[in-house]
Amino acid sequence: MRWGVLQFPGSCDERDALHACSLVGEAELVWHEERDLDRFDAIVVPGGFSYGDYLRAGAIARFSPAMEAVAELADAGRPVLGICNGFQVLCEAGLLPGALLRNESLRFVCRQVELIAADGERLSVPVKHGEGRYYAPAEMLDALEANGQVAYRYAPGQNPNGSVRDIAGVTNEAGNVLGLMPHPEHAVDAMTGSTDGLKVFERMAAVTA
Amino acid sequence: VRVGRLVELEADDPARLPELCEKLLANPLIEDFEIESA
Repeated sequence: MRWGVLQFPGSCDERDALHACSLVGEAELVWHEERDLDRFDAIVVPGGFSYGDYLRAGAIARFSPAMEAVAELADAGRPVLGICNGFQVLCEAGLLPGALLRNESLRFVCRQVELIAADGERLSVPVKHGEGRYYAPAEMLDALEANGQVAYRYAPGQNPNGSVRDIAGVTNEAGNVLGLMPHPEHAVDAMTGSTDGLKVFERMAAVTA
Repeated sequence: VRVGRLVELEADDPARLPELCEKLLANPLIEDFEIESA
């Protein structure tokens, strides 16, 4: 499986994402000006502060040339994983439903949290963000839940940002595009205290076009 | 508590303003925009 990891001006988690992808396949860093991503089986839109988060987080990166190719790959059913800022970019691009607002606390949070996957599996991974409060209108949330698009929730009492219904990650309707605020790529080595993040990459690798 | 911001833009050619507002300046899911002509 060949992964492409995008890099925008202001990305900062692309190296860890590259490493995580290399543990479940081959991985290559891709500058955001590339328009042809057809050689990849899957794409990661990594975390960071693309374009300095000017205007809104992800609002400018969504216009990068590579994002058109990402939309095409997503349409073709290939896995696309957006992490943190990558999640914000995918929401701004309209590839995922909802939006990310400033944390309820108005403070940046950086801590380990427990997630519960849709199938009940628990994962320990870190969060680090200032604008991670997932928001969508109630009708949209009901539809997401009915369609099984809520992929990850924060465990009870661990919601770090005030996200509605404890939502940490959602997928598109087809299930091949996933965005989440926590950082699975920072939890792939036992030295960091958890290797649960690998499961997120393995699950995405199992989504085949 | 909600922290917000207000963007004001003056343009000579209003033709593309709606698209500009919907796709870039505002995220309609969480923000509003108004277009006024002088």
